[in-house]
Amino acid sequence: MLVMVLIFYLIPLVMTVYLSFTSMKNWNVKYLFDLVGFYNYHRLFYMFQHDPSFKAIVLTTIVFILITLVVNVFGGLGLALGTFFLSDIVGSKFRLLWLLPRIAPIAVYSLVWYYFFHETSIGTLNSILMELGIIHQPIPWGQIIPWGAWSVIIFVNGLVGVSFGMIVFTSALNQIPKELVIAARVDGASAWTISKRILIPLLKWHLLYVLTWQFLSLLTTYCHLFLLVEWNLVNRDYGTTLALYVYNTAFLGGELDQGLAAAVILSVIGVSGGFLTLKLLGFEKMMKRPRGDV
Amino acid sequence: MRVYGIVEGARRINDIWKENGVNVRIVITDKRYVSSFQDAYEEFLSKQPLGQAGDFFVNSYVYIPTLAEEGYILDITNYAKAYGKLIDDFYPTLIKACEYKGRLYGLPQDTEARPLYVRKDVAEKIGLDVKTLPEKVRAGEFTWKDVYYWAKKAKDEGYVEWGLIHRKGSAHPDLIQFIFAFGGKLYDEKTGKLVLDVPAVYKWLFVEWKFARDGLIPKDMMAWDWAKQIHPTIVEGKTLFDIGGTWYWTEWQMKKYYHGRSLTPEEVKEWFAYTLFPAGEKGDKPVTLSQPFVWMINSKAGQQNPKYDELKDIYHELAFLVIVKASDPDINAIHSIISAHLPVRKEAAKLLKDETWLEELKRMNVDLDPTVKQNIKDIVEKTVNPINAQFLANVSYMLEYTHLAPAHPKYPALADIFTDAVDKVLRGEMTPEKAVEYVIQKVKADPDLSKNVEIVGKIPENWTFP
Repeated sequence: MLVMVLIFYLIPLVMTVYLSFTSMKNWNVKYLFDLVGFYNYHRLFYMFQHDPSFKAIVLTTIVFILITLVVNVFGGLGLALGTFFLSDIVGSKFRLLWLLPRIAPIAVYSLVWYYFFHETSIGTLNSILMELGIIHQPIPWGQIIPWGAWSVIIFVNGLVGVSFGMIVFTSALNQIPKELVIAARVDGASAWTISKRILIPLLKWHLLYVLTWQFLSLLTTYCHLFLLVEWNLVNRDYGTTLALYVYNTAFLGGELDQGLAAAVILSVIGVSGGFLTLKLLGFEKMMKRPRGDV
Repeated sequence: MRVYGIVEGARRINDIWKENGVNVRIVITDKRYVSSFQDAYEEFLSKQPLGQAGDFFVNSYVYIPTLAEEGYILDITNYAKAYGKLIDDFYPTLIKACEYKGRLYGLPQDTEARPLYVRKDVAEKIGLDVKTLPEKVRAGEFTWKDVYYWAKKAKDEGYVEWGLIHRKGSAHPDLIQFIFAFGGKLYDEKTGKLVLDVPAVYKWLFVEWKFARDGLIPKDMMAWDWAKQIHPTIVEGKTLFDIGGTWYWTEWQMKKYYHGRSLTPEEVKEWFAYTLFPAGEKGDKPVTLSQPFVWMINSKAGQQNPKYDELKDIYHELAFLVIVKASDPDINAIHSIISAHLPVRKEAAKLLKDETWLEELKRMNVDLDPTVKQNIKDIVEKTVNPINAQFLANVSYMLEYTHLAPAHPKYPALADIFTDAVDKVLRGEMTPEKAVEYVIQKVKADPDLSKNVEIVGKIPENWTFP
């Protein structure tokens, strides 16, 4: 186990930090010992200060993470609770439907939404609205800044993320003794009351876990965003988060040194954010030994 | 034929050996990229240091400086010395594109020009004489101001939806032509730095902005879909002008862009005229832009063989011979005609004018590996004909006006900024002045890019368009 941690976590971590202080590029080992001090960090912070797009990117990152996080966590919770009260067969089929965005290959899934939100008349949404006579000119959804672009990226990523919460919450709900629900039913409690008074309080720790996990995922996700921006579906500045900015800066130009410095900064933000979430939500209480009999 | 050229080259060497009783065989395994050449480059870049990249690599010349600098591709200067006649047969600008710091790192595989296509029937209706047009453009008499005038006329008179259509998604390479057409430059040979030529970039962005404001080009042009919008709009005659590439000529014959079918060679010839990319304004020169593809050899070619250390030199020389054979005139000519790219060798250009050879090719009565024959059979049937050969002959003069985008490691970053600026002026998010300021700000924001780019000139005062 320790060896695995060493190989897959510690060594890459140390290497990432070390290489961010070198001039590493084009995957060439000859730069391995070419130390450049804090130059890569300096260059990055200089870009943060002077790049006219950077303000939009930071704002996009904050809005994207906050709203998508809410969608993912509460959407997942809603779906799990909703299907909990359905019969097993209907519930599992419904849940399977929501898993499709996660199962589908990223390129295929993104392509579906590319054509759906396309800003011209070939876009499915535009053509439906035009057919119904609701609009007369196609609407450039992803190019309306900032909210049009934000809505598209939040929608596309939100649908993928929601299934993760749904699975965790469904599994947790199935562990709750059925007697509690049956007793409440006998007392005449509605589905809403059962959810509010019994189920949600019992899911507190799962909520904490999904919230933290999804926060870290959203901070580092860029695959769908990359395609949507690359295909010009959404505005470049308001469709780019910090993670995508790092990817574009680092890897598309072959400048690994720059990318690694950005990755270190992103990791620091992630680790701090993760700790903060766990602290605020009282993670240590969950990790305490139960007070029951030994 | 980009891949089959190597397959065929190897077969020819095998045949020579067989005839001479040499008991050695070259076996080629290939990997093709349908997505993008950038992906192929990224993969080569990451696999080469690990010894996992292929022995041959065909891609744009723009990657040569980086790959040569890192030592990832073979310096073939010394091998090429024994093949002076062959090297002289390549067009000199293309051989130059394969050089880095005076050393040769590859052989040209194909190239192209980027004509301005003109819809003939629409031109006739509005009184634009397409017969004399190529000459007028060549002489610098027909400029972008004239393109604007005729585009507006065609649109105002209701013959077309758009006056001009161009590529989506990237300013490089098609739109970069504007910089050269307005007399600007992108690279300073003396300093080795990229150049941000402010007056030329401003004029380019102004043209885009003006066309979009007057409804002559779609505001969302950079987001259009190639197969569903750009090509259908052109082939269905919904635009008078189109900035395209020579390969469009056969692409329209191969792909079903026209109401669910492809065009016949006769239709393409009847519907489209083509000229150089016109001069920006009087006094400037017409241009085109080429992006030669190059055969390159992995500097670790043959490394997977256990006796690599012993046989290294032989491997490298052999790899060079394979790309020499892959450059045989007939292989190059076949690639040119089936893909509407321009031949890179004079001998190949001669073959394209040889009707007997074309007839034999059409019947597949040529000396090719059976696998290669089988794979190119359909495309040969559709594209090999006198009309297409004539087209290639007609556009080859454009190479005299060609420019190459700088093969500078920082050029892609600069081109990306241009892409953003074009999108913003087309959409009306920025005026041309603001867009130029935006480009300058973006360049200056990155210390590394800033070090590599000279910003020259100022936004011209009192400049008007059209």
